[in-house]
Amino acid sequence: MNEIQAKEEIQLIREMIEKTKMSGAKAWKYFFIWGIIGILGVFGMYILVYFEKYNWIWINWFVFVGLGVFLTQLFREKEEKRQKTKTYAHIAISHLSFACGIAFCLVGFVFPLLELYPYGVIPVLISLIAGILTFGIGGIIEWNLLKWCGVFWWLGAVGMLFIHWHWRGLMFVPLLIIGYIIPGFVFRSEFKKSVKNAS
Amino acid sequence: MHHEKLVKLDPTIHSRIRLAVLSILASVKEADFTYLKETIGTTDGNLSTHLSKLEQAKFIKVKKSFKGKKPVTTCSISQKGKDAFSKYLKALEDIIHFKRP
Repeated sequence: MNEIQAKEEIQLIREMIEKTKMSGAKAWKYFFIWGIIGILGVFGMYILVYFEKYNWIWINWFVFVGLGVFLTQLFREKEEKRQKTKTYAHIAISHLSFACGIAFCLVGFVFPLLELYPYGVIPVLISLIAGILTFGIGGIIEWNLLKWCGVFWWLGAVGMLFIHWHWRGLMFVPLLIIGYIIPGFVFRSEFKKSVKNAS
Repeated sequence: MHHEKLVKLDPTIHSRIRLAVLSILASVKEADFTYLKETIGTTDGNLSTHLSKLEQAKFIKVKKSFKGKKPVTTCSISQKGKDAFSKYLKALEDIIHFKRP
C-alpha cells in the first residue's frame, strides 16, 4: 500500500464516523416538547395566581409535567422502533436526561411539598438543573451553542435572586425560549443538514 | 518506496467494506445490518460475506433477534476487533508519515 491509498483509507474511516456521529443525537425533539410545555405551565400558573386559585398550581404542574413525560415516552418508543444504531452519545444523553428528570421532580415537587424550602427557591433550582442538562448534552454532542444555553440557564438562576420571588417563574419564558426552543430549532436544521450531507 | 513493503496490514481488515464496517462499529455500541448496508452503500449478499469474515476472525459479534415480528441482525465490535482496528490505523499512519513500524 502506498501513501495515497493509506490516505484514501483514512478518508473512508473519517467518512463512516461522520455519517454515524449524528445518527443517535435526536434530542432536539425533546427540547421542543419541554420548552413548549414549560411555557404553557408558566402561563397556566400565572392565570391561576390571577384568579387566586393557589391550590391548583400544583395540579397545573402535575398535568403539564405528566403530559411532557407522556410525550417524551411516546417519541422515545417511536424512535427506538426505527433506531438502527445505538451510539455512545445516545446512551449518555438518555442517562443524563433521566438523572436530571429525577432531580427536577425532587426539587420541583417532593422537597417543596415537604416544606424543605420556600416556593421562591424552586425556579432557581430548576434553572440550575436545566443548565446542567443543556450544558451536558452540548458537551456530549460537542455543540458549543448548547453549552452556551446551559450557561444562560445558570445566569438566569443567578438573575432570579435579584427579583421578587412572585415573578421568578416568569423568567422561565425567556429562559425556555433561548435555552430550549431556539437551540431546538437550530439543532433540528443542523441535524437534517448532516443527514442530507451523509446520504 | 521500501516502506510500502515494511508496513504489514491486517488482511482481514484490508478491504474497503470490512474497513468501513469496523469504522462504523468502532464509533457506536451496536448497529443493525440495514444501517451498515445503507451507510456503506453495498448489497445484502456482499455485506453478509464481509460480516462473516469479520465474525470468523472474532472482530465483531453478530446477534440475530426480532423487533416485533421483524428479524433484525445487530453487529457490535469485540475487544479483539478494537485492538486490530487500532493497529490498522497505526499502520496507515506509519505509511503516511513514512515511518517504519
